[in-house]
Order: sequence, then structure tokens, then C-alpha cells
Amino acid sequence: MVSIYVVDNGGQWTHREWRMLKYLDVTTKIVPNTTSWEDLVEEQVDGLILSGGAPRIGLENKLGNCDEYLKKADLPILGICAGHQFMARFFGGDAKPSKIPEFGKITLTLLDEENPLFEHVPKQSIVWESHNDEITVLPDSMKNLAKSENCLYQAIMHKTKPFFGLQFHPEVNNTEYGEQIFTNFKNICEKHQ
Amino acid sequence: MFNPTAFINESTENIQKTLKEKALIAFSGGVDSTVCAALVNKAVGKRLIAVHVDTGYMRKNEADHVKQLMEEMNLNYRFIDASDEYYEALKDVVDPEKKRKIIGEKFIEIFENVAKKEDIQYLVQGTIAPDWIESGGELRDTIKSHHNVGGLPEKMNLKLLEPLRDLYKDEVREIARALNVSVSEKQPFPGPGLAIRIMGEATPKRTEIVREACAIVEEEIEKAASENKMMLPWQYFAVLLPIKSVGVHGDKRAYGSVISIRAVESMDAMSCSFSTIPHEVIDLISNRITNTLGNDINRVVYDVTNKPPGTIEWE
Repeated sequence: MVSIYVVDNGGQWTHREWRMLKYLDVTTKIVPNTTSWEDLVEEQVDGLILSGGAPRIGLENKLGNCDEYLKKADLPILGICAGHQFMARFFGGDAKPSKIPEFGKITLTLLDEENPLFEHVPKQSIVWESHNDEITVLPDSMKNLAKSENCLYQAIMHKTKPFFGLQFHPEVNNTEYGEQIFTNFKNICEKHQ
Repeated sequence: MFNPTAFINESTENIQKTLKEKALIAFSGGVDSTVCAALVNKAVGKRLIAVHVDTGYMRKNEADHVKQLMEEMNLNYRFIDASDEYYEALKDVVDPEKKRKIIGEKFIEIFENVAKKEDIQYLVQGTIAPDWIESGGELRDTIKSHHNVGGLPEKMNLKLLEPLRDLYKDEVREIARALNVSVSEKQPFPGPGLAIRIMGEATPKRTEIVREACAIVEEEIEKAASENKMMLPWQYFAVLLPIKSVGVHGDKRAYGSVISIRAVESMDAMSCSFSTIPHEVIDLISNRITNTLGNDINRVVYDVTNKPPGTIEWE
């Protein structure tokens, strides 16, 4: 069984991320974001989710030990919301408070429909958002995978490492293809094992 | 997927291991506390004492329904009317967080009294995931202090047991159905009750108003659903707003308060979309409210907010 842990960055939906993985028969656990990389290696995780959280990544570049994971990991990592913004900043990009923040229902438009993270997800779908900040500069090492009317960087991936970021929340019941995206990430982790 | 039978078995084993003597369960008659009571009752029988506290902020006829439910479930129960105490405690309280904390603390005060009298060490609560998630702590922001989490005092003389902590409402309902609990499909009702459906001070008079308005919303929506005019929403109720607006009653100027109708679709209460209930139902509700409560309410609005950015309840 593949093992994907959820790093808790203080999000409202961190536990929902855990639930999504449990329902997919993934071995999973919620761990504080102060957990050391060494401890995670010892647990033999196959993938990590950096959860959303209350910290304002558009104002402050700190998210527990997430920088350590991004620096040392070569396993798949999915950053959600704050996790996604932090990932972009870590690799040299930037995030700022959103001019038009998004709460609740938004239409997502895929820019890369062939991407394994979006297998079986149609070009346009409803996603649920809850962000005060967003990525404003995407580093050269990363690629943009999806956008919405008011937010350009809704989904990103690293060009060489198995790292992904999502501004929206696939773990929320109202996101139309949320379960599919989680299934796709599980598959990515399994293939990478 | 969620396996209610596996959960029930594992949970029963844990409860039997932990509860060696008597335990008190906070019993509101809602889905969570009822399922919790059924689970613990199954595990330890008469050693469980169910305590229902009438806070004065319950809905119309709720006290009778809860008494009936406790009898039906063959629970060892105590029924406490503490309405005067709660009204007194919430006098002049306007801040929503303060309301929730006061209500939570008062519950514990009452439970500790019962526990002392009956020599009970354990408090069982039907706390579920959204309760502790939204109550925050450490990295997690406090969205609202749920009475059974954020309302607990720093030092409690009782040991806490919360068998449903990791679950969401839909999973609790599955357990309810597996255990044949009659309230499995009941809509969620907040622990602080009508107190948080009154914006501003929750006086006895304002409670009466919102109680009647909630009853009207529930009756009309349930009637329309039974006539197949709509599906039952996840949660549906009325909120008394803290503003007044101008109206006209029988050629005279009116200046009265406002009620908002709230109806939402959800699966786990962690996100929701507002219900698009038929206009004719909204019409009936609005009409009944402004006629029945005409002395106080002369305007009705409909809440069209998703979660986020709003929450389901207003406080």
C-alpha cells in the first residue's frame, strides 16, 4: 500500500485531505509541519501533501519545515493553497496578497490537459477556493498548468522534480473532480515508488 | 470508503477498555450526541448517564422530542432545565465568541455538578471533526469556538472521551443508520442553539422571535419537500438580524427587525453552497413570518452566500 502523509500547515481542510487519502486506501497520517525530514524518511513515505493553512505566504515566507522537505525530497509532493504558494517562493518565484481573492466557487481552465495530475479531468470544471494570497511570479523551473479568471497560477509543476502545486482545494466536497485529482496523485506516487 | 460496522466494532472495544465505571454523556438530541450515546450505551449499558440541558435556546417542542428520544433509547437520563441560568449568563453579551465560550463553560459547570453528585469521572461528548478543526489552536486559526471544544474551561474536573472525533456528519449518519438510530437524517443544530441565530444580545424575547421564525422555515420547507417541490437542504433555519428597516403596515409606518432565511447544500459542513429553493417556498415563508411576527419583523431576506466566504451559521 502506498503511503502519503499530510503535512499540517494549520488548514481548515487538512483533515479532509487525510480523509480523501483514507478513502483511496492510502496509508496516511497527519503530521505537524515541524516534523523533521529525517523522521519522514524513517516512516518511509511515498508522497507528501503540504496542506493549506492560515499563514499568509503572500506576506511571509515561512511554513514550518516545508522548505526542508522541498530541498531534500525526491518523492512526489503536492502543495495545496499555502503549500502551493510556498513551493513557488521556495524555487525563486513570489507570492503576494491577491488583488481579487477567491472564496468558494470558481471555474478552473486547464492549460495542460495531458498532465498526469489532471487525467480524466475536463478542460473546465468547478473548483472551490479559499485564498487571500496567490503566486505572482512563477520560477523558471516551474510550469503553469491551469488558471481561473482572476488567478493565473491555479496549478503548477516542477519541470524536473515530481512536485505539484494547486491553488484550489481538491479535498473539498464542492470541487467537482477533487477525488479524481487525489486518485491521480496517488497513481503518481505509486509509479514513483 | 467509510465502513460503519468496522468503526462500531473498533469503537466499542476502545470504549469498553476506557470506561470502567460510570460516564456522563452530553445529550442534545442531535445526530452526533445521539449516535455517541447509542455507541456508548451499546458498550457499557446503564453505566452511561445521559444529561440533557434545556438551555432556553432550543427549538419549538424540542424538549419534548428529546425526552421522548431518551426514553425510546432506554437511556439512563437526567433532564435539566437551566434556561434562566443561560439567559442570565448571556445578558448584554453581544460578541459571538464570548457567547460560545459562556455557553460551553456553563454546560461543563452543569455536567460537573451532576458528575460530583453521582460520582462520575468521565464526560463523553459527540464532538466531530469540524468542531475541533474550526475551534483552532496552534497553527490553526479559530473560525469559531465550538461550545464542546473552544468552550471547555482550561481545567476540567472530568476526563474527556470523544469517540467520533475524526468523523464528519455524513459518516456519523452512516453509523446512525447501522445502529438504527431514529435521528439519523435530522438536520444539524448548533450546540449553542438559537443563541447564535440572534445577532446581538440573545434575550428571551428575541429568542421567542427566532424560535417561531425557525419553526416556520422548517415547516414550510419540510412540507414542500414532502410534496416533491424540492429536496430537503442540508440545513435550513432563520436568523434574526441586528438591524431595523422601514415598512408599511395598514397605512401606517412600520419600523421593524429583519429575518434572514438560510438554507444550504453540503456533505460535511466544511464547505457549502446556498440552496436554490423554489421562489414559491420563499414566498410562503416570508409571508408567514411577516404576518405571524408582524409586531417585530417586517422584512425577510435570503442568504445567498457559499462557504467559504461565509460559514453556514451566522455566528
